[in-house]
Amino acid sequence: MTTLNPGAAMDHEVPRNRLLNVVRLQFVNTQTFVVVPALVLGGAWLISMLIFWVIGGAGVDGVKAGGGSQAPLWYFLAIGIQAMTMTFPFSQAMSLTRREFFIGSLAAAAVSGFGMALVFVLLGLFEQATGGYGINGYFAYLEWIWVAGPFAAGLTYFTATLFFFTIGFWFATIFKRFGALGLTTALLGLGLVLVGLVALATFQQAWPSVGRWFTETGSLGLTLWGLLLTGILAVGSYLTLRRMPA
Amino acid sequence: MNSVIQVRNLTKRYKDAVALDDVSFDIEKDAIYGLLGRNGAGKTTAMSILTAQNLPTSGEVRVFGENPYENARVLSRLCFVRESQKYPDDANPRHAFAAARLFFPRWDQGLAEELIDDFQIPLKRTIKKLSRGQLSAVGVVIGLASRAEVTFFDEPYLGLDAVARQIFYDRLLADYAEFPRTILLSSHLIDEVSNLIERVLLIDAGRILMDESAEDARSLATNVVGDAAAVDRAVNGREVIHRESLGRVTSVTFLGRPEASERAAMAAQGLEFAPVSLQQLIVRLTQQRSAGRDRSPAESQEGSLR
Repeated sequence: MTTLNPGAAMDHEVPRNRLLNVVRLQFVNTQTFVVVPALVLGGAWLISMLIFWVIGGAGVDGVKAGGGSQAPLWYFLAIGIQAMTMTFPFSQAMSLTRREFFIGSLAAAAVSGFGMALVFVLLGLFEQATGGYGINGYFAYLEWIWVAGPFAAGLTYFTATLFFFTIGFWFATIFKRFGALGLTTALLGLGLVLVGLVALATFQQAWPSVGRWFTETGSLGLTLWGLLLTGILAVGSYLTLRRMPA
Repeated sequence: MNSVIQVRNLTKRYKDAVALDDVSFDIEKDAIYGLLGRNGAGKTTAMSILTAQNLPTSGEVRVFGENPYENARVLSRLCFVRESQKYPDDANPRHAFAAARLFFPRWDQGLAEELIDDFQIPLKRTIKKLSRGQLSAVGVVIGLASRAEVTFFDEPYLGLDAVARQIFYDRLLADYAEFPRTILLSSHLIDEVSNLIERVLLIDAGRILMDESAEDARSLATNVVGDAAAVDRAVNGREVIHRESLGRVTSVTFLGRPEASERAAMAAQGLEFAPVSLQQLIVRLTQQRSAGRDRSPAESQEGSLR
């Protein structure tokens, strides 16, 4: 076909800062990205403290560490889902490419995850300094995560948020593009793969070495593997989004 | 001719239907297009493929000479706010306009504020809680104030009252006169937009039925009014697309434009020529084509108006 003004598009540069603006666009949902995570974090902390206090009151003096600190990290699954479902259609009206939307949303999650990790590190340092608020209760300072120091611990928390965000984002994309049937099929497929891995380890009688690998790799090593896995998930997520109609 | 959009053999097939069926057309720079057609004719599908919000099954789309898909260079010069546009859950109109200001390089904040006043949009109410008309108005403000080089309006008036619609038409024309650009407006309200649009793209059942200037479109048909017998004699052998009678007076719309000598003869018989409304023409043509399609698909492929 004839192109009447081939140079026309070339003369136009892409306006700058579009990616940064996607981050700002995501943060329009203050509730999703700031308020609720802060609430979950604060709530989990408060409840953990209360439980530590109750246990302490019952005369248990040992180190108390709960799993409550996981809650705000898991919440990033929900952030991932909402970042996709709430903002993608509007991003299309703002004439964004899917690539710009995806990278910008991931960056927004990274900002949020960085804030979360920072809070965890500061809390952990405080807990270390005060002997667990003076009652030997630890919310953010979990020994095996902190063996490689506060930076490594921060990286672990950060990776966890991005990992959950990417999973949520990808599943939301699958749901929007392929419907409930597609999502269920994908979840079933994932379940089968996991069962397959379990079967493999069992038949090879490899569980002791699997356990050893986890222990030897340690928290920092696992975090780096987690980053790699998150990267792979992100690529898959983008490939699903790439040809999705608005 | 300087076209900003070129569409060749575009087909879009959904699971159960063909929305666009081997469609080809060009969109010229700096003109207002009316994308007209019935519900489900393929108007929204066409617009969303042109803006890369949707993907074609086959065929080619060029916008500013390039494929718009995942092309920020092209997309940043387009604006398409859907009729059923979804906004972020927590967003209010202020957020939406702030976002549009970030992404549309030619955004005019002053114009946006005037329009917000005109349409009385409540800026701090969440968009979820807006009325249908207010929701449409948000889309209209983004479409107009973005001043994008190619702007798409998909049934922009849904839920807007007559006053608000007139404000939209007036503002569109005034701003277009000052900042010429390409505008594609899809609409059912053909009479209302017929003074606005310079070119007509009529789409029916996924095919282009008419691609004419609004002026040429009107001259596709002629309307004569007068004594019933005289009218019958005058239109004998012509393709009548509409007939109305009141007492002895009959008004007939037929296809084609009689030559000057024929017109003089008709005038001598006391017949008067009246302008054909674009809406009448389009309604009759669409009906005629649909009927033809039902009778024989082969026949309707080669209509006299293609």
